[in-house]
Amino acid sequence: MIKIQNLQKEFRIHQARSGLAGAFRDLFRREYKTVKAVDDVSFEVAEGEIFALIGENGAGKSTTIKMMTGILTPSGGEMQINGYVPYKQREEYVRSIGVVFGQRSQLWWDLSPLESFRLLRSVYKVDELQGQRWLERLIEELDIGSFVSQPVRKLSLGQRMRCEIAASLIHKPKLLFLDEPTVGLDVLVKQKIREFLRNLNETENMTILLTTHDVSDIEALCKRVLVMDKGKLIFDGQLHDLKETWGNGTEVVFQFKQRTTIEQLQAALAELPCELLRENEYAIRVRIVQNHEMLPYVLSTVMTAFEVSDVKIMETSTEEIVRNIYSAPVEVSHYG
Amino acid sequence: MKEIIGLFAQYLSQYFKTRFAYRADFLGEMVSNLVSELINLVFILVVFQHVPFLNEWNRDEIIFIYGFFLVPYALFSMFFSFWDFNERYIIKGEMDRILTRPLHNLAQVCLESIAPDRIFGVITGLIIMGYAAVRLKLDFAWYDLPIFIGLVLSSALIYGGVYTAIAAISFFSDSRTGIAPMIYNIQNYGRYPVDVYNKLIRFVLTWILPFAFVGVYPAAYLLGKKTLYGYAMLTPLMGIVFFGIGLAIWNWGVNKYQGAGS
Repeated sequence: MIKIQNLQKEFRIHQARSGLAGAFRDLFRREYKTVKAVDDVSFEVAEGEIFALIGENGAGKSTTIKMMTGILTPSGGEMQINGYVPYKQREEYVRSIGVVFGQRSQLWWDLSPLESFRLLRSVYKVDELQGQRWLERLIEELDIGSFVSQPVRKLSLGQRMRCEIAASLIHKPKLLFLDEPTVGLDVLVKQKIREFLRNLNETENMTILLTTHDVSDIEALCKRVLVMDKGKLIFDGQLHDLKETWGNGTEVVFQFKQRTTIEQLQAALAELPCELLRENEYAIRVRIVQNHEMLPYVLSTVMTAFEVSDVKIMETSTEEIVRNIYSAPVEVSHYG
Repeated sequence: MKEIIGLFAQYLSQYFKTRFAYRADFLGEMVSNLVSELINLVFILVVFQHVPFLNEWNRDEIIFIYGFFLVPYALFSMFFSFWDFNERYIIKGEMDRILTRPLHNLAQVCLESIAPDRIFGVITGLIIMGYAAVRLKLDFAWYDLPIFIGLVLSSALIYGGVYTAIAAISFFSDSRTGIAPMIYNIQNYGRYPVDVYNKLIRFVLTWILPFAFVGVYPAAYLLGKKTLYGYAMLTPLMGIVFFGIGLAIWNWGVNKYQGAGS
């Protein structure tokens, strides 16, 4: 489906000299600096996968996406998507993909989304009857029926975003690119969009690529995560592997009915590799290092041995993980 | 090509739908368009009352040329009205969206920025031509009509080609280039008989920036100026050649854009 090998993109950036004299010299001889925006990135994606591309601003995500959508021509490496080379066979290739740029609209501001859909349908030359049925399904599943005939300028951001997604799917693409689709949306709308995407992936086997800063998107949708930093791919693997490698483990806070010392709890937990920290007289924080399957075991042990009034489970959020990755030195790792 | 024409009809109907959405606005603009064309008309007639003969051209012939010029110019400005191309498509990055759609990018840009209200210029042009033709007692044969249409389309293509080439500069330069003033300045030259200019300018207006082909030369055919028939007949060829050049530069620019990005 997607095959990317040693993908590279270099930009030549004009280095402006400082001062008026510098600007004058720039007129005659310019100095350029070559910046590697994407540096030797390789990955493969099978049909029907949902995966996320994450990274800080300027990590090369957008450049990668732009190359994958045929907007930019790579400066090196090979790329084949849906059986096309995007930058070479652009007009044929883009028929097989849908693109949503969260910051940019594809709908006509003064038209209703429905009119935009119709226009897009003729741009993509979609079969009338099948297209209509597909559109009805999109409208129903995205729940946009009630406002789809109002002008776009009158819609709220959440309403508009759902229409954007419908617009990008009008030709039933095999591959969908979503560049920060949930920026600025409220939780309910986010949830609706995620549900819709998951459903689309399950019923149509659509491949979905997501870039996002919102880690809850990834947790809700993706199994596979690619992390980019300074143009390099620094992680490619499953989300839970990411958590294991970069996470701080899981923490459980037990609130006991009676005063309990760390030693008592330690005795009950025996050899389990846990770190115990006192919160207050009645509460103890248990840090379970890495291994996921230990959590139920720890819980049941403590619950049977002590009278517990409250339990709080705090998993390292993916957000923290991402922060950990960003602050760590670059290190390439491949999983699964 | 057939596809683009079909889409053109769709875009046009969408355009009118959006215009009709603001009823008062639409009517107001329509009236103001008509008034401005009317003022334009009166202005031209008044100004040309004071123009004496220019070389071998009499006043009514000059008015006729001006009227002819308005017709392809109106068509051109209806389809090629992306004055803000650099701002809207390059700086704001709308070009990215254009490139993810399966239709030639220039066609998309033209269709998105189409300005059908410019069509009033055609009417003004026809009125002026009619006025001059009556005063000159011109006779037209039936086949002059299709020839007229052909000449108008060719002239519009010349404009389109030059405009496209200039708009394509945005792909190469990373600064905010104002393409609008450039066009505004050069488009004026075609309106007057080229004989009034010196040899060098005449050469430039014929072969380099062939704006003589949007006014004088094709109008000369309708005026029955036999000495200029050769040039008049060259108009379609010039249209195709110059639009071809414009398109080639544009495509080159798009490739460059794809290489550099924003």
